[in-house]
Amino acid sequence: MKALMSVGALVGAVLLLLLVGMILDVVPSNSVRLVEGYMPIQMLFEVACFVIGFTGLSYMLSSMGMAMPRFWQGIGFWAFVLLYLKFRVYPPIPFSVRAMYGTVSLVAVFMWVSASEEDWKKFKQPIMNVLDAQSGANKMLRYAYLVLIPILIGWTSFNSMKPKSEEPIELRTVHPAPPASTKVHGKTYTLQTSQNPYRVNPEGKFDQEYSNKLIVEQGMGRLMAPNANPWDEKNQGYLKYVKEGGEIFFQNCHFCHGDNLNGRGLHAFAFNPIPANFTDPGTIAQLQETFIFWRVAKGGIGLPNEGFPWASVMPPWEQHLTVDEIWKVILFEYWHTGYYPRTWD
Amino acid sequence: MGLVTRKKVFSIMALCAMVGLLLFPVIVSLPSLAIGADAPDAAKKEEAKVEKGRDVYYKTEGIVVGAPAPKTVDGPKDYPRYNFESRVLLWFANQQHLYYGSFVLAVPIFCMVVEFMGVVTKDKALAKRYDQLAYDFIKISLTAYSLTAVLGGILIFTFLTLYPAFFGYLSSIFRPVMHIYALMFVAESATLYIYYYGWDKMKEGFLKWIHLSMSVILNIIGTLLMFLANSWIGFMMSPAGVDEQGRFLGNIWHVLHTALWNPLNLHRILGNMAFGGGVVAAYAAYKFLASKTDEDRAHYDWMGYIAMALGVAFLIPLPFAGYWLMREVYAYRQQMGITLMGGLLAWLFIIQATMIGILFLSTNYYLWQAMGRMRGAEKYQRYIKYLVFILACGYLVFITPHTMVMTPAELKAMGGQQHPVLGNYGVMSAKNGGINVIITTTVLSFVWYMRGNKVSTVSWAKFGNIFMGVFFACAYVNIVGLAIYGYYIPANVRVGLSVPQVATTLSSLFFMFALNSVMMKGAKQTGAIEWGKISARSQYALIMLATAFTWMMGLMGYIRSSVRLFWHVNEIMRDNSPWAYTHTVGFAANMISFNVLFFWISILFVFWLGSLAAKKAPAGEKAGVPGSAPQPAGSH
Repeated sequence: MKALMSVGALVGAVLLLLLVGMILDVVPSNSVRLVEGYMPIQMLFEVACFVIGFTGLSYMLSSMGMAMPRFWQGIGFWAFVLLYLKFRVYPPIPFSVRAMYGTVSLVAVFMWVSASEEDWKKFKQPIMNVLDAQSGANKMLRYAYLVLIPILIGWTSFNSMKPKSEEPIELRTVHPAPPASTKVHGKTYTLQTSQNPYRVNPEGKFDQEYSNKLIVEQGMGRLMAPNANPWDEKNQGYLKYVKEGGEIFFQNCHFCHGDNLNGRGLHAFAFNPIPANFTDPGTIAQLQETFIFWRVAKGGIGLPNEGFPWASVMPPWEQHLTVDEIWKVILFEYWHTGYYPRTWD
Repeated sequence: MGLVTRKKVFSIMALCAMVGLLLFPVIVSLPSLAIGADAPDAAKKEEAKVEKGRDVYYKTEGIVVGAPAPKTVDGPKDYPRYNFESRVLLWFANQQHLYYGSFVLAVPIFCMVVEFMGVVTKDKALAKRYDQLAYDFIKISLTAYSLTAVLGGILIFTFLTLYPAFFGYLSSIFRPVMHIYALMFVAESATLYIYYYGWDKMKEGFLKWIHLSMSVILNIIGTLLMFLANSWIGFMMSPAGVDEQGRFLGNIWHVLHTALWNPLNLHRILGNMAFGGGVVAAYAAYKFLASKTDEDRAHYDWMGYIAMALGVAFLIPLPFAGYWLMREVYAYRQQMGITLMGGLLAWLFIIQATMIGILFLSTNYYLWQAMGRMRGAEKYQRYIKYLVFILACGYLVFITPHTMVMTPAELKAMGGQQHPVLGNYGVMSAKNGGINVIITTTVLSFVWYMRGNKVSTVSWAKFGNIFMGVFFACAYVNIVGLAIYGYYIPANVRVGLSVPQVATTLSSLFFMFALNSVMMKGAKQTGAIEWGKISARSQYALIMLATAFTWMMGLMGYIRSSVRLFWHVNEIMRDNSPWAYTHTVGFAANMISFNVLFFWISILFVFWLGSLAAKKAPAGEKAGVPGSAPQPAGSH
């Protein structure tokens, strides 16, 4: 047990040092890389390692007769969460999300320190000591709080009321609801039931399963599925159209959406927001192909009322591409990113 | 005929009368239901004038027997108004009626369960306590029942006076259903009063079983009432039984049985139960905090625990029922689903996730506090911090928004709309994992609570403990593993992944509860449960639980209603009032908070009225109050 705790303490100390380095900007945040594809689990894993490390450190300090008071354990852990989110995770997390996480972790800390009566008494003790002010130091602290807390509240109120030159926060609706049908080049497409006419097997029949087997595999990187070479001249059906879609993509779309389809093309950073990142699981992976068809065809100008704040410079591609070209380019996007379009069966 | 026999005959007659009341509205309405059948006769007479229409949902052909949905225009004819937003007035009236309606439908179900527990419990003292508790429940709901009826009246008047064209259309479609509803309401009232006032007269033996059967009838009537009311909102969201112009095609079953009716029914039954449990638990908490004697504290502590346990029992399957409803919404109209989950109303779903998390966190916190009143439960206290950590992680994932709120500067710094790390938590696969982790942890807390003051004496106790530990560990691995796997598979398969995740959670619930019960049979008690010796914090957790339920009900009602956007009846009857726009999130949140506040102030009044009745109770009746009885032998 002691050996395990010692290892835990060592882990805790190293991790804390790293975090302090990141806070002081001595160690860059990305020196310990968040590995693409595993980032969300890596983040939870790292936090779990910190918790194990803190348990070890706490055990070691107790063994050495220098137990950390419960009050400072609680405050310290909450501070750790805030600092981890601010300085470890990159790119920076928006304040609104950090505020949500901070509040939840504050509640969690409260639940921890007040789970039992004994713990709650230990946690309250320093606060009660200051309020009771039986010693000179506590008396001083009480006066200090008496002055500092109103100043803090006043300063926060002043800051929140002060006119700001910053652009206001926008609650953007990234995926506005599509219409039931859309008219492109004179033909009406029902979005709920239409299918990509090029998602076909070599015999020319619509075959979702067939195309699913040939998409790029995800994982540590993106790898082409075995036997799925779109450049093979003998290809028929799905892979042939993927290649054609790729050609259209690189002639028209990659300038903004990037050659990795991650929204970081040559012109991407001229726009705010930058173009959609198709490799993110929250974009095309969540949608039906017909949704993409509608968005590509109608562009930013065709966003519906609820697509607030209509911040998209996507051209209405129906003015530049044929219907077949639009379907093919969509086929390519799904193939390249390794995502499956949403279906309802 | 002896007194007992006469009582039995009368009670059986009362039960038969209740069954009659249940069936009466259906029998009376049969001619009305047959309206579609009359129509063909009329058609034969005037064949040339017969017009057929196509059902917008069932796609069947039917003879048009109704008028088209009115094309309203903004003005005093279709939208008469005060110098105020009519929609907000209606929102308020509707929400208050729903709160009280849910409460009075849920509480009799609790009564039925608790009364049944009292009947089958062998421990006489405990049986008496259960019976008294059930009686307390129904007493609270009785005052609320009158208020529900009053609020229902206010709601109808609001509809008639502010939205006459819309309400006229709705009642032309639902004419027979509305009459059945009114008759069912009469049946519900009669049954409820017989049930309540017959309590003392039917308290033992065969008569008690008759009384219990009455509660079953009462609940059947109540549930049917709710189903009928649900059919109206189901029709407004996903109309059926009418053609494209909104003309009734003669088949009332099609109008009732819309695409979303059944999911709504299930969701509302579970929601009402969870809500009712929360309100009663809050009542008990309020009484606990106000108690001046140890006996009262013991009674209300126990009452709070039972109400919370019943509420949470229905809260656990609630997310899964919600999942089914959303699935059906997507299947009905893709754009409706996207508006809800990914589009205009997506942020409200994040708030909803936050509220769901609060519910489970409050429950866990209450259970940990409750362990403080058991001697011997200290052995679990040191591990609570790890449960907190697991819960917090699940919660953080569950509430991470897909569409983040940020300033344009933050957007630029992030390099795109999606955060490469947190964006992954914003999708369904992660969220399913998050909520299942939270629920499984709640189950674990319950298991710890149930064995808090006990040590198993079965010969295979060690093996049983290891098995349970491994089972929970595997459950977590399976849930998280499936959540990760969900990113790598097609969406239709991913949706199906929720089934094994839910199965894992429910397996933990049922198997672990069952195994724990077997292991704890004849277990050695390390100390009694000291009812009333629970911390005040636990009672605030119960109040928090009830408030979160109330807020979430208001929120979900708003979301469900506003998903129709600018339609009174989706794609059939357009809302042409000046208020056919979606409120801002801030306004909606304020309005929901106001409704919650109003409900709690008014229900406090109801509680106060209930306490007046208790004060007037004769001394003999007071002696039966369970708090004054000896402590139950460690009942959970």
